[in-house]
Amino acid sequence: MRQAFVGHGASRGSALGRARVRLPHALEVAEEHIPAKRVEGEITRLHAAIATVRGEMFALRERLHGALAHEVGEFLDLHSLLLDDPELLQGLDELIRTGRYSADYALRLQRDRIASVFQTMDDAYFRSRVDDIDQVIGRIHAALHRRDAGMPGVAGEILVTDNVAPAEIAQLQAQGVMAIVTTTGSILSHSAILARSLHLPLVVGAEGALQRINDGDVLAVDGATGNVILEPDANDLRAHRGRVRDLARERKQLHRLRREPTRTVDGIDIKLYANAESRDDVAEAHALGAAGVGLYRTEFLFLQRNELPDEEEQFRVYRDVVLGMTGRAVTIRTLDLGADKADRTGLALRDEPNPALGLRGVRLSLARAGLLEAQLRALVRASGYGPLRILLPMVSTREEVREVRATLKRVTVELREQGHAIADNIPLGAMIEVPAAAIALPAFIGSVDFLSIGTNDLVQYLLAADRNNEALTSLYTPLHPAVIRLVRDVIQLARKRDKPVAVCGEMAGDAHFAPMLLALGLMEFSLHPATLLELRRTIRHCNLAQLQSRAPALLRARDRAGIEAWIAENAPVIA
Amino acid sequence: MIEHELTVSNRLGLHARATAKLVQTLSGYRSSATLTAKGREVNAKSIMGVMLLAAGQGTQVKLRVEGDDEDQAAQAVVSLFERRFDEDS
Repeated sequence: MRQAFVGHGASRGSALGRARVRLPHALEVAEEHIPAKRVEGEITRLHAAIATVRGEMFALRERLHGALAHEVGEFLDLHSLLLDDPELLQGLDELIRTGRYSADYALRLQRDRIASVFQTMDDAYFRSRVDDIDQVIGRIHAALHRRDAGMPGVAGEILVTDNVAPAEIAQLQAQGVMAIVTTTGSILSHSAILARSLHLPLVVGAEGALQRINDGDVLAVDGATGNVILEPDANDLRAHRGRVRDLARERKQLHRLRREPTRTVDGIDIKLYANAESRDDVAEAHALGAAGVGLYRTEFLFLQRNELPDEEEQFRVYRDVVLGMTGRAVTIRTLDLGADKADRTGLALRDEPNPALGLRGVRLSLARAGLLEAQLRALVRASGYGPLRILLPMVSTREEVREVRATLKRVTVELREQGHAIADNIPLGAMIEVPAAAIALPAFIGSVDFLSIGTNDLVQYLLAADRNNEALTSLYTPLHPAVIRLVRDVIQLARKRDKPVAVCGEMAGDAHFAPMLLALGLMEFSLHPATLLELRRTIRHCNLAQLQSRAPALLRARDRAGIEAWIAENAPVIA
Repeated sequence: MIEHELTVSNRLGLHARATAKLVQTLSGYRSSATLTAKGREVNAKSIMGVMLLAAGQGTQVKLRVEGDDEDQAAQAVVSLFERRFDEDS
């Protein structure tokens, strides 16, 4: 019988398909015995499934890029380690041999045995780690069936579950899931942000869905409105077909936006730059009509290798980025190694007691004079091929900028003397990601030519919440009144002093946050190319003057809920 | 065989990331290693085993390492504990 569930639309897109229900903390497998002659075959089948999951995790790790890669990668690393865990998988073969259980039931028994130990723990954090075990065992279980049926686990199905972790979102998308419906969660969670960037329809908070929906039930899911219909009727099906047509038309329209300006309803042009770290990103940014590259990461030149790249190698890379953007502005960030990025060159100090507060970003560059000089020389040489700006990460004092500028001046004179054709003036900017730099900005804005607010680190340092600490996921959020105020202050001061200012963290790439950032006075965004057109569309539906008139209400919000309410009230209607 | 009495002093205790670090550190050595706490002994090379200890901050654990590179393996673990798993000051 038809039944409707109303959740929150967390990632747009429509799906019509069969449900795959995943009940929390339970592997639904009935006791099953196999004949003796099937025992060895069953063990082989189990190990093949484990190998499949291992391969999938590896492939997924390879596909991840950009800012989310680190975060999702940590889940994957943990799950990969669990997959190789001697204790977790030990005994499965034995269970199949002596108990003559099917591989499925052996997994279930093993899972229940482990869960019963976790359940006795007093500490809620440790108790909840059984989720990781469940996910790994669940993946092996899914792989067993994928092999049997010769088709992917959730391909062409709609997953209905209580909650979904960011790492799973990427995995499920890779497996071909059509949509995901959860009974809990927020549209501003990391999972939701990831689903939107992967264009995977997601409805969160569809209460009651787990009680009423069963495997194989037909569902119609609308990731925009949050509506989930069980056993849709003729009207629903018509509506679904309409949405699919709308979506196809919308995709076409989005595609057309490649050549359109990023202009608000009241006629103000907003600049959308792309974050990039590869030749492909640069090509995509160019094709999508980005105003330029707002943040080109140079770490990849230094990671995964044993020796430092020399000036010549760096020059060729930077020159190609500048050439690739054919005259549009290119902002290249100097080396931002440290903390969360492991390198093999021995550059970053691996044993720092507190690497997030250690020798990283511009601090590392200044501590290794030869390193900075080679990078600056390569950048200055590349400036001869088109507009190039240099951005310094992790700046916390005016002296750091001055010191880099002095080196920049010196190498510029040297290179000119050596006959290189270089730009007359190369803008030098600072990333605002250390709260001290943001707060003391009046004292040092005179030292820089432009600013870029790195919200990922700024939020982490301002809230003293490690963005990778699982215990702090609810605390680590850009939707804190302190973050909103500080971002506003930086933008306002930069505009008053006529210095360009962009936001380049994940916050800039999520269209949900765009009205808020516009209200705070932001005119330049730098984001991953994958979501650029969506942001352009949102901005084209925003009225800047109206949003800015509502900024006081945003700044009065006392907590996350108040800020979320402001975002919900001011979301533009996109017809 | 080498034994060490250690104290978990990082704030979150032997949580997922710290445990992963411990297991990854030990994976480079051939020696076998166990951790004992609260009357339970687990394989220190098993991430699940170590998580099952539910060792929060302040927990006393006994490390036992046995094998041909036991000195280096034990030292690596002791150092990791002393550095509070590189995660808090």
